[in-house]
Order: sequence, then C-alpha cells, then structure tokens
Amino acid sequence: MCNLPIKVVCRANAEYMSPSGKVPFIHVGNQVVSELGPIVQFVKAKGHSLSDGLDEVQKAEMKAYMELVNNMLLTAELYLQWCDDATVGEITLARYGSPYPWPLNHILAYQKQWEVKRKMKAIGWGNKTLDQVLEDVDQCCQALSQRLGTQPYFFNKHLNIWKFTVHVLSKSGLENFEHYFTIMPTELDALVFGHLYTILTTQMTNDELSEKVKNYSNLLAFCRRIEQHYFGKGSSSIRLS
Amino acid sequence: MAAPLELSCWGGGWGLPSVHSDSLVVMAYAKFSGAPLKVNVIDNTWRGSRGDVPVLTTEDNTISQPAKILNFLRKQKYNADYELSAKQGADTLAYIALLEEKLLPAVLHTFWVESDNYFTVTKPWFASRMPFPLSLILPGRMSKGALNRILLTRGEPPLYHLREVEARIYRDAKECLNLLSNRLGTSQFFFGDMPSTLDAYVFGFLAPLYKVRFPKVQLQEHLKQLSNLCRFCDDILNSYFRLSLGDG
Repeated sequence: MCNLPIKVVCRANAEYMSPSGKVPFIHVGNQVVSELGPIVQFVKAKGHSLSDGLDEVQKAEMKAYMELVNNMLLTAELYLQWCDDATVGEITLARYGSPYPWPLNHILAYQKQWEVKRKMKAIGWGNKTLDQVLEDVDQCCQALSQRLGTQPYFFNKHLNIWKFTVHVLSKSGLENFEHYFTIMPTELDALVFGHLYTILTTQMTNDELSEKVKNYSNLLAFCRRIEQHYFGKGSSSIRLS
Repeated sequence: MAAPLELSCWGGGWGLPSVHSDSLVVMAYAKFSGAPLKVNVIDNTWRGSRGDVPVLTTEDNTISQPAKILNFLRKQKYNADYELSAKQGADTLAYIALLEEKLLPAVLHTFWVESDNYFTVTKPWFASRMPFPLSLILPGRMSKGALNRILLTRGEPPLYHLREVEARIYRDAKECLNLLSNRLGTSQFFFGDMPSTLDAYVFGFLAPLYKVRFPKVQLQEHLKQLSNLCRFCDDILNSYFRLSLGDG
C-alpha cells in the first residue's frame, strides 16, 4: 500500500531471528524491526505513512479498531491453531514442526503449544469453548462490517497532505478543496486484510471460522478488492463454498 | 416481577463505590441501564467462590466476568446502548479492546506489581476484606495473576523480563489516556448525552486509578493532567453514586 519494494523470504527460524520473538519482521540495511506497530513507525520515520491525513479522533478510532482485531481475531486464530484438539492434531503440529528433523519437530511444536495455552489462560480464554470463540469472531466481524459499511476502505475521506502541500506551495490556491481528499487505505485496512485473507484462504479441519467471515459480504468484497489491487491477482484465491 | 439480581463485588474506598475495575464496570452499567442490583460487598464473612469477582447471582445461575454479566443484563432488557447506532456499537467494541490491550497492563502493574503500591496499599486493603486464611493466599495469587498477564501479553518469549516491559506498558497507557481524552473532548459522555457501555468501561478503568492514593503515581499524575477525563469520572460519581456513598 505504501509502494515500498519488499522481498518476502520464508525462514524456519524466523521467530528466533526476530528481536521480539514475533514475526513478521523487516530487515533494512543493518536494522531489524519486528511486528506491525514498530514497522509502521519505522516506515513513517522514513517518510512513508498511510495515516498522516487522519485527524486526532480518526487516529484514535483507527488504533482502537486495530486493537479489536488483535484482541479478538488474532487470539481466535491462535486458539483455533493451538487449543482446538482436532486442528492441532491434524494440521498445526505437522505444519509447525515440518522444517525440523525428528525429534525436534515434536519438541518445538509442543513447546509452542504450551506457550500459547499459557497465554490463553492468562487473558481469560483458557476456559472458552470453540463455540464461544466463534461467537467472539462473529461479533468482531460484525463490528468491522458495520464500521466499513459500503465504503472501499475504513477511512475514506482523509486529506492527502502531499497533494495539498504541493498545490499550496505552487500557489495554485485552495480552489476545489475537495480535490485534496483521497480515498486511501490505512494500516487498519492492511491489518484487517491480513487476518481476514488468512482466515479465508487457509485450509483447516473445520471451515467454521471462514464461514463466520463469509457471512459479511462487504468484508469479502473488501478482501477481494485489496487482493486484486495490491497483489495483482487476476482471479481471487478466496473460494466461496 | 423480576427475580432479584445480586452482585457480589469488592467494596469501595477513597470516594469510590468499588476500588476494583471489573466490579466498578458492572456497577456503573447497572446504574446507567437502570438494572436493580442488590450489591453485596465482600467482607470477612464471605463464603463465595474465590477469585471470580464480580459475580452476578440470579435465581437460576451465577455469571462472572463483566462482559458476560453485561450481556445477561442486556438480554433482561436493561440495555444502556439502546440509543446507539450500529457504528457506535462497533466503536464501543473497538474502544474496549483498546482499553484492555493498552491501558489495563499498566493499571494492573500500578495496583498489583509495583512493590511500593502493592505492599503498602493494595495487599492490606484486599487482605482486610477476606476471611482468614484466604487473606494470606488470595492477594498473592491475584498479584501473580496480574504479573503473568502483563508478561505473557507484552513480554517477549522465551525469557520474560519485567524491566523491559515496564517502560513500554506505561508509555502505551499514557498514549491510550491521551487518545481517550481526545475522543471525549468536551462531551459529557462518549456517545452524546446518555452514558453507555463504553462509559461504564472507561469509568471502571479510570476511576480507581484517579482516586486511590498510591506511593508510586506516575500514571495517576498523567491522568490528572487530562482534565476532561477527571471531570468525566467526577460527574459519574456525583450523578450516579452519590446517594449510595456514606463517608466514602
């Protein structure tokens, strides 16, 4: 969305290379920055930002919705991957341990599972059933769907500071002020897309999680639009069952 | 005639009806939505379930955790969000997530982890309101639970160090308070003239931080500089809780 040239690399020990233990991280020159929040800050310090045109109230709203996605969607994804026995047995353990030889694959996978379960317990998700988790996901999707409405992105009319500055400096004046407002995605759109797209396109033992998302047609359209616009795919990878 | 609803929760002090955030959220919501709750303050004679507070007891069942209690009250037609639009309802969920992720760790730290605060204020207060021998065990358990939560959600695996996390959680909490203050502006409540679920949550998290007297007060000092948030808490205390407070 920022038009930055990136090369995506998959590594088995990515979590260990990361300074905070979490993926993704970017490696720029001799700097390593991990997780979305710090990466957004880093990119902003280099002069690229998607949310500069938002006012203070909009920025607060954006941060709040990003926390909602982290709080509910990310936690639900972790729950489904590591705390739902069916998924764990059939998919997760095999997938997580696949780059390693036996017995390392088992040890690392179980260690990760133990870590995730400990975290779930600490935040009060330890006793949740799968149905309760799916209901939380539904509530979150409903909130996102309502906030998105019929608009293409979550924040739709923000001032394009660059355009505005150029025109003012070139003394073309302020006529047609509307001209300076553009529809642009922000980091919230990137975050929501990342989670929803993953949920929709990852094959799991049961499809209930992706079904919950598919109930909201504007969220589906949102994902397709970003997929086609920014990832240049002619046809969508999102299947409708 | 509705069956009586009884709420067991931690008691008050320093001018608050309760010093415990979760209890305060439920009490505030009940006041806003007009739910008739009989409040049972936990004291030395308490024989209830441990560590699950606040707990709502009805004729048929018991419900714990503020989110579930509020859901139940809404189903019983005590709905403080009746006037909100769909978008405002969505915003409510988002802001509550913001509070839990960004503000709660620092509040937990101020109350339960910061040694000066915990040993001189929090532990004696809670221990004096529990029957022996629970008073020897439960405060320590609550403190450990708080530390766990902070480290597991904000710390870095596999080694969890409190020092590294402390600076970050306080910075996030101050930013969260600033965001809330910007969002509230000069309005009386977050969505217009009537208080809603979001107001109950913000009040529940902020009021104890605002009023309880601690030795180590960095977050409290920051909050006191945001005058509209302080006014927000004082307004709710005066309008909704004045009659039920004795000498505070």
